[in-house]
Amino acid sequence: MSLAIFLVTLAFMIVLQSAMPFLLKRTLVFGVTIPEKFAMDPSLASYRRRFSSIIFMTGIIAFIAFLVWSTTTHATEEQLVWIGLAIQSGLLLLSMALYLYFHAKTTELKQTNKWGTSLKQIRVADLQSHAKDAMLPSSMYVLPILVTIGLVIYTVTQYSLLPDMIPTHWGANGQPDAFSPKTPFSSIALLIILLVMQVMMLGINIATKQSGIKLNSSKKKSSQIQQLAFRKYTSWFLLMTTILLTILFGFLQLTTIHVGFQNVSLMMGLPLGFLLIILISSAVYAFKVGQGGSRIAVSVAEEENIGVTHEDNDAHWKLGVFYVNKQDPTIFVEKRFGVGWSINFGNPIGYLIIFVPLLLILLVAFFV
Amino acid sequence: MFIQIEPTSDIPIYTQLANQVIELIARGQLQGGDTLPSVRALASDLSVNMHTVNKSYHELEHKGIIRIVPKSGAVINPIVQDGITSDNRRRIIEQIKPILAESLVLGMDPEEIQKLVSSILTHLKEE
Repeated sequence: MSLAIFLVTLAFMIVLQSAMPFLLKRTLVFGVTIPEKFAMDPSLASYRRRFSSIIFMTGIIAFIAFLVWSTTTHATEEQLVWIGLAIQSGLLLLSMALYLYFHAKTTELKQTNKWGTSLKQIRVADLQSHAKDAMLPSSMYVLPILVTIGLVIYTVTQYSLLPDMIPTHWGANGQPDAFSPKTPFSSIALLIILLVMQVMMLGINIATKQSGIKLNSSKKKSSQIQQLAFRKYTSWFLLMTTILLTILFGFLQLTTIHVGFQNVSLMMGLPLGFLLIILISSAVYAFKVGQGGSRIAVSVAEEENIGVTHEDNDAHWKLGVFYVNKQDPTIFVEKRFGVGWSINFGNPIGYLIIFVPLLLILLVAFFV
Repeated sequence: MFIQIEPTSDIPIYTQLANQVIELIARGQLQGGDTLPSVRALASDLSVNMHTVNKSYHELEHKGIIRIVPKSGAVINPIVQDGITSDNRRRIIEQIKPILAESLVLGMDPEEIQKLVSSILTHLKEE
């Protein structure tokens, strides 16, 4: 079972990582802003291709080696998990190292060719952007929280039915493999973790709504349509994740209370189904929506803006991946290398929304 | 309804912002009763400090172009129909005079200046 999980996630990582340069906006090459008319420069095209092919080839070799090794030798479950994790982290490290290499090369290319230095840089905004924003209302994120509170109350009323040892960890086959003695805290620890995650998702949705709708001044109309679509689909994706988490955790809690609910195939299938749905929908999201909605086809006439270009903002993007701008009240910004959101490291609220919940989850997991 | 700013310009960003809003009102794209986005929203969209947008809104309020209403935010005032007040007239003259003087010194003749003014006015009225 572990083998299948590792192979599926590995395949997913290989495809997504190697396709990455092609899912991004043409004008953002390895975290560096390139003016529209130079975006298809042959050297940049070769950087994109080299990044993809190195990741893809290495990934495929590792995938096959892992498959052959695990089927020919009688590796223990533990060995399988460690090697699998090592291969996945190795692939991520390789992708990071390549990114940094090509980021440096692209920066150098931009400087030597003086791309965009003769153009006046401008920023644009639409006064009506936020009125057109179609992100899901935050109240939708409150509903799963109510379900969790309901489950907490239910657990309290069924406290006597709970077993003496409360499951705290589940293995790859969906069966519990670690337990804690029954206490009021350990009986609802799982629900507390769920609650923390749900509140974090709610916080992310609120903060994303408040974040700036940044337009590309050379394509203001189409970039606005793409931005708004990106925001809408991300909020759907986030809500779907929240609902799936609620179903999974709620189900595990119910199997703990009522042993009769324990159905071996359901317990094995639910987490796997969960993993598959998340992997498939993030791939669909990445390929359909793309960075900032860049893969959404838009056909609107843009007025030409000669002599001006979009502000490159490179100075605020450390290494092309970390956005640090103390002036900007935005909490979440669109990623520069990747599809999704990143935080403005110049705004402490972002840290609070992400790191406090993670810390709380670790604390609960540690004390249970 | 797009506004644009030029971060590297000598004109401070809050003035650029106020000028853009005034131009939208003059063109009739923004009308009396319309509201401007919240300070936070506009500052985030333009990646500028909230103080910058706030300062710009207060300058517009000071000139009587918008009013800041608790809860509804910055609301555009209707274009004044019954003539300019003497205070505002004095302020406008004060601002125009040095520009006109500079144009003369830099070699524009009065006729050229008049032509320029009327072409800018038609440009503002045409949309």
